[in-house]
Amino acid sequence: MGQPVARDLRLRLRRRLGGELLFLLPALAFGVLFALLPAVALFARSWSDVGGLPGWEAILRDPLNRLALQNSFGQGALSAALAVGLGYPVGLFVGRYRWPGRSALRSVLLVPFLLPSLVVVLGVLDLFGPAGLLSGPVPALASFGRGIPGIVAANLVFNVPIVVLFTAAGCDAAAPELEEAVRTLGGNPRRAYRDAWGPSTWVGAAAGGLLTFLFSALSFAPPLLLCGTRCYTVEARVYSLDSILLAPDAAGLLALTAVLVFLVPTALYLLLLGRLRAQPGRARRTLPRVPWRSPVAVALAAVTAAVVVAEGAVLAAVLYRTVVPSDGAAAGTAWSSLFSGTTAQRLGISVPGAILNTLAFAVAASAITVLLGIAAGHAVARRPGRARLVGLALFVPLLVSPVVLAIAVATFWRPILGGVSTTWVLVIASQTVLAIPFAIQSIEIPLASLGRGPAEAARALGASPWVAFLDADLPRVRQGLATAGLFAFALGLGEFTATNFLVTGAGGFTTLPVALYTLQSARLGAAADAAAGLLLLLSLAVFLVLSLGGRRVEL
Amino acid sequence: MSNSEPLLSVERLDAAWDGVPVLRGVSFDLGARELLALLGPNGSGKTTLLRCLLGLEAPTAGTVRLAGRPVDGVPVHRRGIGWMPQDAALFPRRTVLENIAYAPLLQGRSDAEAREEVARLVTLLRLEGFEDRAPHQLSGGERQRVALARTLAARPRVVLLDEPFAAIDLELRTELRTDFRRVLRELGMAAVHVTHDREEGMFLGDRVGLLVDGVLEIVGRPDDVYRHPPSERSARLLGYNVWAEGPGRIAVHPSDLRVVAASTGRRNATVTDSGSAGPDRLTVLALDDGTRVDVRERAEVPPRPHGSVAGLDWDRAVELPPRARPKEPKSAGPVGSP
Repeated sequence: MGQPVARDLRLRLRRRLGGELLFLLPALAFGVLFALLPAVALFARSWSDVGGLPGWEAILRDPLNRLALQNSFGQGALSAALAVGLGYPVGLFVGRYRWPGRSALRSVLLVPFLLPSLVVVLGVLDLFGPAGLLSGPVPALASFGRGIPGIVAANLVFNVPIVVLFTAAGCDAAAPELEEAVRTLGGNPRRAYRDAWGPSTWVGAAAGGLLTFLFSALSFAPPLLLCGTRCYTVEARVYSLDSILLAPDAAGLLALTAVLVFLVPTALYLLLLGRLRAQPGRARRTLPRVPWRSPVAVALAAVTAAVVVAEGAVLAAVLYRTVVPSDGAAAGTAWSSLFSGTTAQRLGISVPGAILNTLAFAVAASAITVLLGIAAGHAVARRPGRARLVGLALFVPLLVSPVVLAIAVATFWRPILGGVSTTWVLVIASQTVLAIPFAIQSIEIPLASLGRGPAEAARALGASPWVAFLDADLPRVRQGLATAGLFAFALGLGEFTATNFLVTGAGGFTTLPVALYTLQSARLGAAADAAAGLLLLLSLAVFLVLSLGGRRVEL
Repeated sequence: MSNSEPLLSVERLDAAWDGVPVLRGVSFDLGARELLALLGPNGSGKTTLLRCLLGLEAPTAGTVRLAGRPVDGVPVHRRGIGWMPQDAALFPRRTVLENIAYAPLLQGRSDAEAREEVARLVTLLRLEGFEDRAPHQLSGGERQRVALARTLAARPRVVLLDEPFAAIDLELRTELRTDFRRVLRELGMAAVHVTHDREEGMFLGDRVGLLVDGVLEIVGRPDDVYRHPPSERSARLLGYNVWAEGPGRIAVHPSDLRVVAASTGRRNATVTDSGSAGPDRLTVLALDDGTRVDVRERAEVPPRPHGSVAGLDWDRAVELPPRARPKEPKSAGPVGSP
């Protein structure tokens, strides 16, 4: 009696979950343990501590909290709009036209996205800040080195490449057959753009715009270093409430407000992302790339050149300052200053120790991310219905910002794990949770476009789902895995917001980005310049390793 | 254009992909109101040829003339050549009506005129009741009908059809084939139809061309082409058996072959397989040199034992020229307009 019941239960469970859904479980469990559960606990505790709705209303009435929300929306919307304005033409030029270096530029455009936010902020300061390389000779440009213009300028360095890559992905997703249909029905190239291939680039640009809006609205380092309290975003305000003003409940409920407010753009982003995906299993052509001879193409090329020069200038400024420090110190002293005993004393850890921490955390986080991402990406790609729905839970970190995540994880796990000595676990877990959405995307998209034929053939030959996945699917998504690993590693390398919160008071776990922030805050300009240069070189090295490995790296 | 002048004229067209020749010296004419079927196996260059005619690909050499005027360098949208791709390529977010009305409105025709045109094509292609449906709500056959209606609504001078029935069920394919031929005839539309289905090509074309490895080997009336394959490759494309006979090679169609008692026919062969093929029985034999020979016999003929020796006799054989690639299409009957 007992055995048939157990078998029946097993069968029903399998039918309900589906073989592939089991692949989602490890990532889901990780996400629940290190994101969802701590966040819910944080929100619940804050809610009860402030006395429910009246307390929440009081927090929302606080002028500084309201200002933070306004800033998030204002800066986010402005940054996203400008990013779309600049990135869309470049995306069209990269995605639609044929020119030498197109593929290389498409790969290189990932670099700013992978850069630590602090490095970009320092780059903007190097160009437009006090004694900036551009604001020095042209003082009118100094306004881009502080306040809202400075924040927006820093955001644009990350955001424009994102919009470019999403727009180019929109070109790739367009159906060439439709364009050919319009042309053979008598439509001119402009009409073909409007009716056939343009709409998918609009979807791409809109998805990119929404993502950049979310990134900018929740930005942390730019308002902190370029402006101060009056420009704080929700993210910076939450950090300030929790760590400086010691009002964790207010921080928790302001974070909850942000989650609710940003739910709609996040859902929209995911919706648009779905529309950019290739039809599963359908081998398809992409739009033919056309030579850039028309006046429109020349104009797009000009915008592309301007964007490349601007992005390059920020990176070049960071490297230049490692030779000629921004604080007026003698040329060549930046590196010795970074590795000096004074700096180590100030940081509470030697710089090589901070580098080691950074690399160790990034390696561990990327390894866990890839492992969890492979399984989850496989489940979402193979079971687009229910699994996609469940898989959406893994995009929660896009919504729950790094600061909120760090506060929630620290509050929930520190008492269980036992104090600051286990900070490394929390840093790795947080970096993993933040990287998972991008890892899943990098693996799921190529998997979904491959089709199920080989895996199903393997199953029919007697392979278990796991063996079929290993033998048939995995070898075909090596590029996706490499990209996922790169993303996770680079995000870990530059992760500042969550790590800064978690390692505060646990100096032995300080990473290079946190060290850079400490040095910059302490106005140790030369050492900060060298730290920024070092982070930039490390990011470039990661990118180069993958590029030289012969893999084209694309979003 | 004079009456004798072809509507579409293709002269010595060459095309290549990454330096690899895909089309070599393709030449043919298409008369007004004529339906030309180009038959070729997968990878023979059929789609590339159509794309070159449309201007979607640039040929490496050769000329395309429409009504006597070269169209080289004329943009796709100004050529006046209609195209119906294999997968229909309907606008996914427009209804059937909007899809068909696309070109008339694009050409600046009035709403009333466009509506009239659409209504005429809807009736002609038996699409009544589907007008407000989205493409994803249509079956494969319905989508193809809409695609043809949309192409015809642009009033092109020539229509190019790229294997429009390839993804359609066999039963529906026959119906669509008949409908398409009827519509093109009623409208007096000149068309080039490419396919790898020899029955479809023979049925649809006023004339048939055989495109093999990028070379148009022959253009002529279906019966003539069928009876006079110019090369071994063409013969195989038409379903012939080919083997060495004396100093040369001959092609014999399975329906012209008879299996007789051993040593009473012209050749002896060993039976390697025998089974039902619906209305016929298919018997597979091997000649002494291992060449496979298919024979279609009456269904009532009992299965022949595997390994038994039988005689082969035939009513008609085509003597094939020595293996050499022809430079120009050979004519079986008139090469130009009929």
